[in-house]
Amino acid sequence: MLTTTAELQASSLGGSPLRTSLERERKRLPLVQHYLEEQAQLTAVERFSQLHETTLLPAQSKYYRSLLPVSKPKSGQQYAFSVDLDRCSGCKACVTACHSLNGLDEGETWRAVGLLHGGTPSSPLQQTVTTACHHCIEPACMEGCPVNAYEKDAVTGIVRHLDDQCIGCQYCTLTCPYEVPQFNKKLGIVRKCDMCSDRLAADEAPACVQGCPNEAIAIRIVDTAQIVEDVQADAFLPGAPSPGITLPTTEYKTKRVFPKNTLPADFYNVRPAHNHFPLVVLLVLTQLSVGAFSVNYVVTSFYATDAVQRYHALVALALGLVALAASTLHLGRPQYGFRAIMGFRHSWMSREIAGFGAFAALAVAYAAGAWADPLLGALGLPALDPLWSVHLQRWLGAAVVISGLGAVGCSAMLYAVTRRELWRLSYSGPRFLGTCAVLGLSLTLVTFSAAAYFGTAVSGVVLAGLCQSLFAASAFKLLLDASVLAHLKSPRVTDLKRTALLMWGELATLTQARFLVGAVGGLGIPLLLPVFFSPLASHVQLPNAALALATLGCLLLVGGELIERSLFFMAAASPKMPGMVGQ
Amino acid sequence: MTAPRNLGGSLARLLFDRQGELTRDLLREPGQFGLGQVPQRLAPDRTTTMTCGFCSTGCGLSIHLKNGEALNLSPATDYPVNLGMACPKGWEALAPLASKDRATVPLLRRSRSEALAETDWETALEFFVQRFRDVQTRHGKASAAFLGTGQITIEELALLGAFAKFGMGMVHGDGNTRQCMATAVTAYKQSFGFDAPPYSYADFEQSDVLVFVGANPCIAHPIMWERVCRNRNNPKIIVIDPRKTETAMAATLHLPLEPKSDLVLFYAVANLLIQNDLLDRAFIERSVNGFEQFAAHVAAFTLERAVAATGLLAEQIQELAFSIGRGKAVSLWWTMGVNQSYEGVRLAQSLINIALITGNIGRPGTGANSITGQCNAMGSRMFSNTTGLFAGRDFANAEHRAQIAELLSIGTEHIPSEPSWAYDQIMEGINRGQIKALWVVATNTAHSWINQADAHDLLGKLELLVVQDMYSTTETAAFADLVLPAAGWGEKEGIFINSERRLGLVKKVARAPGQALADFSIVKLLAEAWGVGPMFKDWSSPEATFQILKRCTRGRPCDITGISDYRMIDEMRGIQWPLPEGQAAQPAEERHLFSDGRFHHADGRAKLLFEEPRKAPESVDKNYPLLLLTGRGSSSQWHTGTRTNKSPVLRKLFSEDCYVEVSPKDARDRNISQNEWIVVESRRGRVLARAFISHVVRPGQCFMPMHYAKVNQLTFPSFDPYSRQPSYKNCAVRLLRKSEVPDLD
Repeated sequence: MLTTTAELQASSLGGSPLRTSLERERKRLPLVQHYLEEQAQLTAVERFSQLHETTLLPAQSKYYRSLLPVSKPKSGQQYAFSVDLDRCSGCKACVTACHSLNGLDEGETWRAVGLLHGGTPSSPLQQTVTTACHHCIEPACMEGCPVNAYEKDAVTGIVRHLDDQCIGCQYCTLTCPYEVPQFNKKLGIVRKCDMCSDRLAADEAPACVQGCPNEAIAIRIVDTAQIVEDVQADAFLPGAPSPGITLPTTEYKTKRVFPKNTLPADFYNVRPAHNHFPLVVLLVLTQLSVGAFSVNYVVTSFYATDAVQRYHALVALALGLVALAASTLHLGRPQYGFRAIMGFRHSWMSREIAGFGAFAALAVAYAAGAWADPLLGALGLPALDPLWSVHLQRWLGAAVVISGLGAVGCSAMLYAVTRRELWRLSYSGPRFLGTCAVLGLSLTLVTFSAAAYFGTAVSGVVLAGLCQSLFAASAFKLLLDASVLAHLKSPRVTDLKRTALLMWGELATLTQARFLVGAVGGLGIPLLLPVFFSPLASHVQLPNAALALATLGCLLLVGGELIERSLFFMAAASPKMPGMVGQ
Repeated sequence: MTAPRNLGGSLARLLFDRQGELTRDLLREPGQFGLGQVPQRLAPDRTTTMTCGFCSTGCGLSIHLKNGEALNLSPATDYPVNLGMACPKGWEALAPLASKDRATVPLLRRSRSEALAETDWETALEFFVQRFRDVQTRHGKASAAFLGTGQITIEELALLGAFAKFGMGMVHGDGNTRQCMATAVTAYKQSFGFDAPPYSYADFEQSDVLVFVGANPCIAHPIMWERVCRNRNNPKIIVIDPRKTETAMAATLHLPLEPKSDLVLFYAVANLLIQNDLLDRAFIERSVNGFEQFAAHVAAFTLERAVAATGLLAEQIQELAFSIGRGKAVSLWWTMGVNQSYEGVRLAQSLINIALITGNIGRPGTGANSITGQCNAMGSRMFSNTTGLFAGRDFANAEHRAQIAELLSIGTEHIPSEPSWAYDQIMEGINRGQIKALWVVATNTAHSWINQADAHDLLGKLELLVVQDMYSTTETAAFADLVLPAAGWGEKEGIFINSERRLGLVKKVARAPGQALADFSIVKLLAEAWGVGPMFKDWSSPEATFQILKRCTRGRPCDITGISDYRMIDEMRGIQWPLPEGQAAQPAEERHLFSDGRFHHADGRAKLLFEEPRKAPESVDKNYPLLLLTGRGSSSQWHTGTRTNKSPVLRKLFSEDCYVEVSPKDARDRNISQNEWIVVESRRGRVLARAFISHVVRPGQCFMPMHYAKVNQLTFPSFDPYSRQPSYKNCAVRLLRKSEVPDLD
């Protein structure tokens, strides 16, 4: 209760800067002051607190009791949401009830509502669909989580997220086909529906069950064997992702027969997805680094280029480390990033991190080896036995390449398991390798050109070979990237057609930039560069224009690949539950 | 000993942590007060129930309080309206209060070329008085008018109406309720002798046949639909609507009639009932006037004529008629599809007539029932003192004026004898230069008035526009010379009356931001500044005002003299009118009217009123070949969105982009693809909208939700002659691809 006028005024004015300017203007009328003070007093308790339920039992339970199971699940069973579509009238109260009764943050929602429609002019259909976590038998969120922040309860089957364990990598938001885990930017973690497990434990109904005016949502016990059996017929819900991926347990009941043309209201909406820029940088620069080491390894197998590779290794390593550092920017809680390899047994993300960790360690060792002679010399120590050290470097180089390519493979798998069409291994594998090749060749061309510019012996054959290989690799990569546009012709709106529509429509500027930059850097410059040297020369001396050109080409290609990888994220159509009009 | 273990524990937790502070953030605990588990962070120390401030359903919301301040809310289980349920707006009712664009301080501009600038209350009051007086001196008292609302409490409405008319001498004042229920008011007044919606929500559960006409309760009144779902009689649910609405989907029979063929349909149904003698002759004999004339009138409405007009099958119309005729308890429900029509009053009465001749009134589960729109539309019908004098009286009636003068202890000379213009006439008055100053309270005319472009021009013509609102960002506030910051629902006390005539309480559970004041306090300050403070000396608080209003109802059909005070309303979980002194009230009671078959005309009988249907004022033609229907788009949006757009959760539940539903055939004919931005053009304006191509809307028609600001640039300004309610639901439009409109901005 407020006592003094000063307090009253302070509270009624909300401490706003308005007050001083007002006082400057004129004297307060007593009546205005009276009403402002009165406005600041909350009177509901004082005047109406006499009506209080003394009971601790939830009053609402009389309405929801029949919507809960009477016993606990037995072995081979679990709890599941059961949605009676015939009772769902589209009010969306479930979303807000969940939000309010669970104290979610502003704008955070664990339930969503969509619309199916179809039919004929004389017999139209519209059907609202409410959806939350399906507490899957094979939860893809849990499978993907690199820090084991998901648990599936052995008795209830509820898939719970351990908020304090989460590092905010958001990988589960990609692996879940139903957009269930929601990233909370403020907290830096994802959160999701836990079927109000502690309410269920106390025989209370989950918030959405309590909040549905029409008793359309219930909790039922399901047999997991039955779910597996039903999944074979793909009969989950029209417009929903195939249940075969995760075995969702939610039951959608209806007496209605859905018409053949039943589609989600947002079926034709193509909107760009999130551009995960730190991941774009991670993918492109790690692939550059791996590519540069690989190309160098191949080149050094044929030509001795000791002095060059010293610098080359350093640049490649530095860019690789930048990439790994950039990736932590993607984490909501980077301070716990070290947990990320805990999920090695099941998570491709853990494997990717482990792979790049090994790659980085080996690359550091390799770079150190390349610099061993001058370092030892500078310290006045004797040089290593060349026979031994050359051998070691060869093996280390091979290990770097193998670990790097392995890690790139993990990257590709990481996306492939999310079941996005654009991210299938058959697309992303060649693309990622293509990036390795294009950027690796281009960076090698730069370091070799620099060496040639600074007077180190570089053979014309190597430079010419690099130019030709870069041209070929770029041509291959650009064709590969363009191939998805062929889906524009598809009569069906498939996920790849959505990608093509986005690239050709809303993201056309990015697409054009990608091909322009890629073509100049990867086709034009490698064609032009051989003008500056003779391929027959064993010791090429390049003018600064040539070095500038090679560097420009590399920058353009890196830019091109960054755009390409942004499109990889933004234009990928993701599986989702039916959405609303305009979503 | 413990240190190493703690260290070990901390290290282990560094690697695997299952219950740190992030987990605690979502922990729930028993909420007490019958709430069940609540988020620990938001656990209340008290609860109190108040009426929701969005629609006329009037749900009871249990507000979770801590130190007297609202933390959270959940629907009240023991409230007889909603039985522990709420729609998304109700759940999110507290969110719009915390919005950043609340008006927190008076804003003023001394010339139209300036921008609105902050000022203090004293200056604002002075400006208001000086400028209104100036306009009234130069152009006469009636040149100042006000537009009110159904969104503020009855005490505030009454004080506003009393001050404006008795204090300032205004003659013309109307409310935005004109846009939603004026038709029902007029229809009931003419038919029953008083504006008395006869039902309670229990009727939804007690009918065996429910007929919904131009109503989509699944979306517009989800909690009323809840009550329908609780009907255990396995009822027939018949929905009459051109669109396949959510409610039509849930119906047992949907009649997708041609728009504006409804009057013919219901006359034909009445004819079928009469022909087949499916009537309650005893009831007609006892309680109804004009049956013979009515029977003669509807005889011309043959089945064939109805089939031709409505596009329905003869069997469908027969099924409708026989379901009504043979049902034991038939209730007929309507909302804006009926009210917002150029012949809305006769249409509403065609439904009232059906209820009267079949005796479906005054019994559980029956009635010709208008579902109202706004939270306090019913309160404004009784107490806004706009087009009608307090408690259902007439300004034109000298006896009524004398009664009110005595009840309020003011001179009769202060009460205008001239009835007020309706909303459209006030707007027209601005156009003709007769209205020069306008005071707009808690409504958003610049968005919601039919034929919006015109409304924008009109507001610009005023010499003075004062806007009193919670938000300084409404489309209307942008035109204002003075903006008065108002406290909102939950920041003040008072009463709302819901669709079933239930008085419910609004309580003060949140602090208004900055210097925003309750509309009640604002009007009191203005009255004082105007120099008529003594006239409202007894109106010292909302509750004191309620006592005055109670007196005004004595002996009227809406008599509430049996309600002692706010506390009684709280304890009874709302009280329906009438409750005359001496009648006992039961907690959570649900009462319908006319059980005795007596109506409010002098002879105690209801009237059958009817008229020849007229042609729609605007129909489709070669240039504008599609008929545009408008209505609610989702249950998470309220009217013009000034409040619901402020909730991030609600915003996730509706389309951000304005959209238009188009049938696949019409889309194909125009080469329009799904989700494409297209141009919807009427003779009055054009708007951009995304195409949502769906069979939900029939070929030849399209539908736009009214919540998007531009939709009313298209609508055609025609009005019901009796109720002056605008006909929002029929205007001719054409759809064009953007490439076909070269001069698009």
